Amino acid sequence: MAAFESTLPGPLGSAADHPPALPAALARARAGDPQAFRAVYDAHVGRVHAVCLRLAGDARRAEELTQRAFVAAWQRLPSFRGESAFGSWLHRLAVNTVLQDLRAESRRHRRVFPTDDLAAFEAPVSAVPPGTRLDLEQAIAALPPQARAVFVLHDVEGWPHADIARELGVAVGTAKAQLHRARHLLQETLR
Amino acid sequence: MNCHRWLDARAAYADGTLAGAARADFETHLVGCAACRADLAGLRALPDLTRALPRAVAPARDLWAGIASQLEAQRADLADSPAIDWPWRRFAPWALAAGIVVLSSVAARRADPAWSVAPLQGVPEVDRAAVVAPAGFRPGQWLATDASSRARIAVGRIGEAELGPGSRVRLRGVSGRNHRLELARGSLRAVIWAPPRLFFVDTPAATAVDLGCAYTLEVDDRGDGELAVTLGYVALAEGDRESLVPAGARCRMRRGHGPGTPFADDAPAALRAALAEFDFVAVPPNGTVGRILAAARPADAVTLWHLLGRTAGAERAAVCDALARTHPLPPGSTRDGILAGDIEPRRAWAESIGLGNFSSR
Repeated sequence: MAAFESTLPGPLGSAADHPPALPAALARARAGDPQAFRAVYDAHVGRVHAVCLRLAGDARRAEELTQRAFVAAWQRLPSFRGESAFGSWLHRLAVNTVLQDLRAESRRHRRVFPTDDLAAFEAPVSAVPPGTRLDLEQAIAALPPQARAVFVLHDVEGWPHADIARELGVAVGTAKAQLHRARHLLQETLR
Repeated sequence: MNCHRWLDARAAYADGTLAGAARADFETHLVGCAACRADLAGLRALPDLTRALPRAVAPARDLWAGIASQLEAQRADLADSPAIDWPWRRFAPWALAAGIVVLSSVAARRADPAWSVAPLQGVPEVDRAAVVAPAGFRPGQWLATDASSRARIAVGRIGEAELGPGSRVRLRGVSGRNHRLELARGSLRAVIWAPPRLFFVDTPAATAVDLGCAYTLEVDDRGDGELAVTLGYVALAEGDRESLVPAGARCRMRRGHGPGTPFADDAPAALRAALAEFDFVAVPPNGTVGRILAAARPADAVTLWHLLGRTAGAERAAVCDALARTHPLPPGSTRDGILAGDIEPRRAWAESIGLGNFSSR
């Protein structure tokens, strides 16, 4: 399992991570107060849902994964040591939740996650009729899962290639190639 | 767009990271290729579009009720369960809470939660009746998918399972401490958030016992199969034989033999092949254990640890010594104790390796 303590690369983890009243709620939630955890949920659900939605590419699945991420956060709160910003920690946990789901889904279909199979990029999961104009969110959702994951983590969330490659279990060069494919598919869809 | 061979160069050029001869080559091509020029314009517009994406997107509905019910289910089940020292339980914040806010009534907690089935793809069937919308799933009923259908099963309040194509599963138990399915054929992916040993899946070869985890079970037409764990642990048991499979590992099972020995997802092919002989050939060829040990890496500790309980004499000593080279015995555990087959030092060794606190038979 990935280490949740690792700090999140990219633009998260800023001072804006904690709304003013949140540290107290966070402390109470860590001590086991579900009502305080509700406040934590309210403050972070938009960010967590956004990354789940973009990585999963499916609204219903994203809702389930968002719920799963918060349940996992509740279970692991006692192990959160405050070494990274809570938003970063939670965000990392949400990403791991989605990636685990994608890996499990892939294993169920093919037993081996085709992480180096660039041909997969030629077959988007959601068929978009040629010539259809989509906005960027829709175009991201229509990407194949691996391409979507690389694009969202790199271009949207600001992760470096090395971190993405480690999470996805691929070589850095493969992650870069996948990103190029994802951008290519996106710009073709958006044209 | 036919310029796939320029795809990487085009992206790197748009990034400004293409240099040297490769850059010159691409620029030469670009001059004569309208398609690549159009792609380049699209690629250069993409960062602005991406930066404009909102950082937060509120879900279309309030998700808190579903989260709260899962937290409450965990709290209730944890309070009811016997003291089993599993590592993840130590993270359970409920044990730390002096004053727990109860989110729903005791009566609601005690009620048997309903199981239900929903189609995910195609048209699954419950007792040969088409399932086109979420429907109840009662004990004794069979849920079946054909080659083009999948279904999701709500496992009461404690989790969910997805039944893959070409599968048959029966609901056998729905009581508070015995949530039980029978997978006759096909694949089942389960994600369970309850405390350990509340959710079971019987197969013709062995029973998968949830220990707080996510996993996939596959069963072929002969009743043989494989378990792959992605989160937490699963015990695979048949008769007096039990294998404990942690996340990142898998375990084969054979009808009439029960569970085999767990191995890492990325275990070497030589180790897997030797393990198949060790587990499922009535009289394994001489040197089978030696071939397993020769192929084993430090990451194959889960395999070697299980072999301690499945070998004897000189073979057990060889396994013990091989495992100790990469994972030293913990304080208080001795080689003699391991070789004598004592449970306690073997259990302590498992915990020190990070395989969990358990006993395996």
